[in-house]
Amino acid sequence: MALSRIDTTNMIEDVPQSKLDNNINFRNIIINGDMSIAQRGTSTSGVTSSDGYYACDRWYSQTDIGTWTISQSTDVPTGQGFVNSFKMDCTSAGTSNADEVMIRSKHEGQNLQYLKYGTSSAESLTLSFWIKSNKTGNYYVAMANANSTQDRVVSFGYTIDSANTWEKKTITIPGDTSQGFDNNNVENLTIYWLFSAASGFTSGGVSNTWINYSTSRFANSNLAGLGGSTSDEVYMTGVQLEAGTSASDFEFLPFDVNLQRCLRYFQDLAPKENDDRFTLGENVNTTRCDPILYFKPEMRAAPSFSSTAANTFSLYHSGTSRDCTSVALDSINNTGGNLIFNVSSGLTAGGCSQVITNGTGTQCFFDAEL
Amino acid sequence: MINTVEKNYIDGVFKNYKITKSDGRTWFIPLVEENSDYQEIQQWISEGNTVIDNPPE
Repeated sequence: MALSRIDTTNMIEDVPQSKLDNNINFRNIIINGDMSIAQRGTSTSGVTSSDGYYACDRWYSQTDIGTWTISQSTDVPTGQGFVNSFKMDCTSAGTSNADEVMIRSKHEGQNLQYLKYGTSSAESLTLSFWIKSNKTGNYYVAMANANSTQDRVVSFGYTIDSANTWEKKTITIPGDTSQGFDNNNVENLTIYWLFSAASGFTSGGVSNTWINYSTSRFANSNLAGLGGSTSDEVYMTGVQLEAGTSASDFEFLPFDVNLQRCLRYFQDLAPKENDDRFTLGENVNTTRCDPILYFKPEMRAAPSFSSTAANTFSLYHSGTSRDCTSVALDSINNTGGNLIFNVSSGLTAGGCSQVITNGTGTQCFFDAEL
Repeated sequence: MINTVEKNYIDGVFKNYKITKSDGRTWFIPLVEENSDYQEIQQWISEGNTVIDNPPE
């Protein structure tokens, strides 16, 4: 059939404009700023000086005072669209400001080159976040650039004005014209939210502008200080760091996109159900199977490996399932690697075994965090 | 925080470090400078701590 004529009378000439302000994709430098991803588990209790990643992906905790439960909470600011927050709850008190309690967010230098740091065109940054604590008073945020030539730091203060009330804080940081970020995949920019700190972090006071690195310039000595009471707790969500001098609305990403970004730094490849097939490997001899694993997406760097106990895995071979007696890492890079699963006997060299889970909650952690 | 560090040999070759952290968990750490646990081990060694080394005979 021939096309005769197109009637343009009622055609829309202009595509309607989006009603979303500042709708620039991936403007938020922070990954998992809405705390929706928690691959390691949603809560860990009894955390003392074991600094590291607990609950929400990409959020590093330092708890050198007291004992804490660190969790992914559902306590969020009303009407903002958030579902989760990151919570630190003091369960055994120490002496506040005798040591450090803080949250860190770490970032690769190769993701920061567009900020043009180290040039006269260095972009200002605006940090915005929602926070809630039982303890009002003065708090501080520091940002450090771990440049291979000269480390730099900038720090700012803010106040929590009302106890147990969600408050949004916005801080604008001038660009650093003196020092750039290294263009690589290791830790360059680190943001510190200080909740307690000893004098080594406060004796020099906040800088309010980029200066050569000094730990003493992270905060002022009037830091409110958490960790001195079992009532102490802090929640945070909606964290956004973006180029410019004003805070835009929080950039919500689809769950799968947010997860995909976190998988660059941490993956748990073990299925969570009992008797689930996990992977396949060649039987090297009668007691050892070497399965191959692949990371999707590829990880930031060759990751560290940790698993639950060996007997949470079995090898299924020739119709028989055998509990594993040890698990180890052989070789690994950022795209995959191979593990070693041992059993007491019964495999056929040159054959193949399925690696399966024994029970629920089996973990097979690969960690390439910064 | 690291408690112990041991060289892990596979088929007679030093392939990675096996470490225990203060939370009791065991980790295998590849010999890669970009790995932050590897960096932490190097710092731990520079502070005078000793790596357990039992190479296979």
